[in-house]
Amino acid sequence: MENGHKSGEKIPEVRILKDGPIMLKGFFRFRTSSGEETQKEHEIYICSCGKSGNKPYCDETHKKSVMSG
Amino acid sequence: MYQGNKKYTNGEITVFWYPKKCIHATHCYRELIEVFNPGRRPWVNMNGASTREIIRVVKLCPTKALDYEYNNKDAQKGQSRDLSVADKTVSEARIMKDGPLLLKGDFRIIDHEGKEIRHTGTTSLCRCGASKDLPFCDGTHNKTGYKSD
Repeated sequence: MENGHKSGEKIPEVRILKDGPIMLKGFFRFRTSSGEETQKEHEIYICSCGKSGNKPYCDETHKKSVMSG
Repeated sequence: MYQGNKKYTNGEITVFWYPKKCIHATHCYRELIEVFNPGRRPWVNMNGASTREIIRVVKLCPTKALDYEYNNKDAQKGQSRDLSVADKTVSEARIMKDGPLLLKGDFRIIDHEGKEIRHTGTTSLCRCGASKDLPFCDGTHNKTGYKSD
């Protein structure tokens, strides 16, 4: 049972990708630090290593830091 | 009850402060320094703003380190409808400036090993990579000076 959700509605998914970003997928409201809001079907990858040059999004810098480290 | 827990009232509502839950997301004092001022003792001044404004800011606290209740429980029923600004039926992911990724509402969270993490209400996920409680935020970004913008 999925509390609060009508049948047919899918709960948005958050995946912590191994040694990688956080994937957010599904219908939700997304709000950036500057206050822009979009409410729609999303598939976004949020940087979780703190090193992306395109925050909040992942730009795959984590791969470089793993390889060089 | 943990000794550091505190409560503050303006006669209409009581604000509760649970320091152990605080991740220093800083919404409270950035939004309403007149009420929430960490440099002052006591740090909460319930006369610094209207009840409605205090409730708005208490609700921004991502970990419920700040919480509130109406002193007269009947008053809450009439008020709560007015205060529901955003559509609460839609889950929300919010990027906090120089801070975590905040998830409000229903999300299925799956960790790096494919295991589902039980989640209700509000959760903060680390974006700086330095948390000792990954994938969750533990407030370390405040010490490391993480900048997201």
